[in-house]
Amino acid sequence: MQAGLLSTYQHPVRNRNGLAWALSALLMAFYLLLYFGKENYDAKDALTRYAHDPLNLLIVKLGWPTGDNGSLWVFNKWYLYAALYTLGMAIGGYFMLKKHGNSRYHRLRTYSLVSVQAILGFMLPIALDFAHRPAWYFSYFFPLKYDLFFPYNLDHMQATVAAWFIFGSFVGIPTLVYFKGKRAYCSWICGCGGLAETFGDPWRHLSSKSDRSWRIEQFSVYTVMFLAFAMLGMVLADGLSAPDSPIHGWANHYKEWYSLAIGAVFSGVLGTGLYPLMGTRVWCRFGCPMAAMLGLIQKFGRFRITAKKDMCISCGNCSTYCEMGIDVRAYAMAGKDIKRSSCVGCGMCAHVCPRGVLKLETSKDVGPHGEIQVWTLDL
Amino acid sequence: MPAANPAPHYVIIGNSIAGIEAAIAIRNRDRDARITVISGEHPHPYARVSLMYIFCGQLSLKDTQFYPEDLYDRMRFERIFERVTGVDVAGRRLALEGGRTVEYDKLLLAVGSVGRRLPWPGAYEADPAFLHHFVTLGDLRRLDAAAKPGMSVAVIGGGLIGVEAAEVLHLRGLKTHFLIREPFYFPVALDAAEANVVAEHIRHHGVDARTNAPVNGFRREGAKVVLEGPDLTVDLVVGAIGVEPATAFLRGSGVALNDQTGGVEVGDNLESTSAPGIFAAGDCAQVTWIDGSRRPEQLWYTARDQGRTAALAMLGDDVKYRRGTWYNSAKFFDVEYTTAGFIPYAAPKAGRAPAPTRAEDGWQTWYQRVPGSAVTQRIVVKDGSVKGFNALGTRWDHNVWMRWIHERRPLAWVLAHMNDARFDEEFIAPFAVLPSATLVNGA
Ligand SMILES: Cc1cc2nc3c(=O)[nH]c(=O)nc-3n(C[C@H](O)[C@H](O)[C@H](O)COP(=O)(O)OP(=O)(O)OC[C@H]3O[C@@H](n4cnc5c(N)ncnc54)[C@H](O)[C@@H]3O)c2cc1C
Ligand code: SF4
Ligand code: SF4
Ligand code: SF4
Repeated sequence: MQAGLLSTYQHPVRNRNGLAWALSALLMAFYLLLYFGKENYDAKDALTRYAHDPLNLLIVKLGWPTGDNGSLWVFNKWYLYAALYTLGMAIGGYFMLKKHGNSRYHRLRTYSLVSVQAILGFMLPIALDFAHRPAWYFSYFFPLKYDLFFPYNLDHMQATVAAWFIFGSFVGIPTLVYFKGKRAYCSWICGCGGLAETFGDPWRHLSSKSDRSWRIEQFSVYTVMFLAFAMLGMVLADGLSAPDSPIHGWANHYKEWYSLAIGAVFSGVLGTGLYPLMGTRVWCRFGCPMAAMLGLIQKFGRFRITAKKDMCISCGNCSTYCEMGIDVRAYAMAGKDIKRSSCVGCGMCAHVCPRGVLKLETSKDVGPHGEIQVWTLDL
Repeated sequence: MPAANPAPHYVIIGNSIAGIEAAIAIRNRDRDARITVISGEHPHPYARVSLMYIFCGQLSLKDTQFYPEDLYDRMRFERIFERVTGVDVAGRRLALEGGRTVEYDKLLLAVGSVGRRLPWPGAYEADPAFLHHFVTLGDLRRLDAAAKPGMSVAVIGGGLIGVEAAEVLHLRGLKTHFLIREPFYFPVALDAAEANVVAEHIRHHGVDARTNAPVNGFRREGAKVVLEGPDLTVDLVVGAIGVEPATAFLRGSGVALNDQTGGVEVGDNLESTSAPGIFAAGDCAQVTWIDGSRRPEQLWYTARDQGRTAALAMLGDDVKYRRGTWYNSAKFFDVEYTTAGFIPYAAPKAGRAPAPTRAEDGWQTWYQRVPGSAVTQRIVVKDGSVKGFNALGTRWDHNVWMRWIHERRPLAWVLAHMNDARFDEEFIAPFAVLPSATLVNGA
C-alpha cells in the first residue's frame, strides 16, 4: 500500500470536518483580500491611510523591504502573493514527495512544477522589475492568462515576448499536448496545477466522482472556454475599431466582468478556497478555459491511460485519488483505455493502483497492450 | 396458480462481484425479469479486496463500492439485506434469518467465502475476543475495534490475506508477528529465492516474519494468549490460513457440496450437479481448472467471469465456464507481484501432486534479481519455450506474457522482447538481462 495515504480518512483536515471548513474559509478570505484589497501599498501610506487593511499591516509587520522612494514594486502585493505561493508549493511538494516520491514520475514532475514556479513565476518577474524592465510570467498562456492580450499588456509588450506568448498559446503548448497529453502543461508546468499537485495534494480524494458532477463539469468548463475566446474576439474587435465605436465600452465591461467573476472569484477564491472541501482541482476541472481547450486536443492526441485487461480488482484506489473526479475504476473494470479530456495526467491513478493495471502512454503505435480508442464522445 | 408466469423470478444470494455481475448480465438480456439480490453483509456491493485499505484509512467503505449507489434502482433489482439460513430445493424456497421465505424460479449461489477457522479445539467456543479473521466486513469491524497501537498480534498463515493483514496491523502500530508454517513465504507461487526477497522486505518494514513456524495450539494467560510452537505471547491472533466456501447453510439441503472443500459441485455450465435450477459462481463454486483439477477459484476477476457465465446459463443459454491460462497479481507491502502461466508449486500441498517439472522432462528455470532491490524475474521453460512468468517489484502486462506462452516463444526471443510486456510508470529503467542471470535445469 501507499504508506503516505495511511489514515487519509482519519486525518484532522482531510475529511471535510470542521477544521477543513475553517481552513477553506481562511483560504477564501485570503483570496478576497488579495483580489479586492488595495492594489499597491505605499510605504508612507502604509500605517496611516490603509491601516485598516490587514494585508497591508501584514506586509509592514513582516518587514517586507521598501524601495528607495517608499513606493516601489516591493509593496506590490502580487509579489508577496508569488512568494507565499512558491513557498506553499515547495512545502507542499516536500510532503507530496514524502508520500509518493517512491515514483520517479512523481519526483520529476514535482521538481518541474516547483522550479517553473520558483523561476518563471517568482524570481524572473521580480528580477525583471528590478532591472526596470516589464515583468512577465512566461509560463502562463492564453486562455488561462486571460488578460495576456489586453491593451494594457500589449501596449508595452516587446515583439519577442509577444511572439513567445502567441506561439506558446496557440502552437507550442497545443502541439506538446497533442503528442504528450494535457499533463505536459497541467501536471508539469502550470502554476495553478502546481499548487494543486503540491499544497493541495492532501485533498485530492475529495473530488466528486458522480455522473452529475461530470455533467456539470462538461457544461461549465466549455462555457468558460467560450467566454474566454469571446473576450479575445472582443478585445481584437475593439483594437481594430474606431475610437468612438460602442465596442470599446462593451469590451471594457466584458473584461471587467470576466476578470471579476472568472479571474478572481472562480479561479482564486473558489478554486483554491474549496481545496479542503471539494478537492484540489475545482478550478482546473470546472472552470479553466485552458483545460477545456487542451482537453479537446488531448482527446484527439496520443495520450491515453491503458488499462490492463482482466486484472482490476475494483478496489477503488484509482478513482478515489483521481483529483479530476474521473471514475477510473469504471474503465479499468471494463478493460477500456481511458481517454478523457479532463485527465491532467497526474499519474496518481496508475501510481496508487495496487495491481499495476494502469499505464500512461503516448506511443504512436498501438503497442503490445491492445487497441487505443482514438476517440469517444464523452469529453 | 396461473400456468405461465411471464416474468421468471431470479434470486441471487450474494451481492459481491459474482452475484452482482450475474444480476446485471440477466437484466441486460431480460428487461422484464424479476431479479432479487440478497446479501447479509452490506446492502451495496463493495470490494472485499479493499478490506486492508478501509482498515488503515486509505479508502472509505463507500470508495470501495464499485457501482454507483443507484445501481439497484436503475437495474430494478429487489434488495433483501438479510442472511439466508436454508434452501428448500424441492419447494424452490429460501428461508431468511428473520423468518420470511422467498420463492425463486432460478437461484444463484454467489455466497463467497469465510475465513478458514484455525484447527484449535475449543478456540471458537464462547466467541473469544482475541481471535480474528480478515475476510468479511464483520471481521473488519471486530478487528478494527480490537486492534490498538502498542498491542501485539500474531498473523497466522503465509498467504495473500495474511500479508495484507500483517501490513495494516503493523502500520497501525501493533507489534506484528507473521507466522508462516512453510519453510518460506507463499510457496504456492514463489520459490525460495523470491520468497526471501519478500521476507527481507517485510522484515525491513519492522514486521517479525517467521518461517518454519507452525502453531500447534494456544493457551490463555490472563488477557493474553500464548501460541504453542513459536511460544509467543500476544494480545490478538488473526487466522489467515485460507478461506472456505460459505456454504454451511446448504448442508443437508440436497445441493451437493464437495466433501473436502465445501464448494458447490457444479457442471461446466455452473449448474448444481444435484439440484437443477440452482447455479453457483465465484468463491463458493467447485469448478474445473485448466490443469483438470476441481476446486474453488478464489479470485476477484474469475468470480466476475463465473457470475456472467452463470447468468447466461440461468437464462437458458448453452454456455460453459472455461478458465484460461492462470495469471494473478498481488502486492506484498510495497512489492508488486505479477504472474502468468505455469509456475510449479515449490512446496507440494496436501491433495495436490507435486508438478512434474524434472530436468529430464525438459524443464528449465531462468532467474535474475536486480542486486540490492526487490526486483526479480523468473521464467519457467519447457523444451525451449516459455511456460510461465513470475515477477516481483516491477509491473508487467500478463496478457502479453500469456500470448507468448500460447505462441510457444523460445526463451531467447522472450528475453529480447521483455520490454514489450513492461507496464511500469514512465522513466523507469528498462528490463535488461543481467550478467548474474541464471538458467538452471528443472523447474
Ligand atoms: C482480504 C482479501 C483480499 C483479497 N485480495 C484479492 C486480490 O488481490 N485479488 C483477487 O483476485 N482476489 C482477492 N481476494 C479474493 C476475492 O475477494 C474473492 O475471490 C471474491 O470476493 C469472491 O467474490 P464472490 O462474489 O464469489 O463472493 P464474496 O465476495 O465472498 O461475497 C459473498 C457474498 O455473499 C453474501 N452471503 C454469503 N452467505 C450468505 C448468506 N447465507 N445469506 C445472504 N448472503 C450471504 C455475502 O453477504 C456477500 O455479499 C481477496 C479476499 C480477501 C478476503
Ligand atoms: S487546468 Fe488550467 S489551471 Fe489547471 S493546470 Fe491546467 S492549465 Fe493550469
Ligand atoms: S485519470 Fe489518473 S492521470 Fe488522469 S487526472 Fe485522474 S488520477 Fe490523474
Ligand atoms: S485499476 Fe487498480 S486501483 Fe483502480 S480499481 Fe482496479 S485495481 Fe484498484
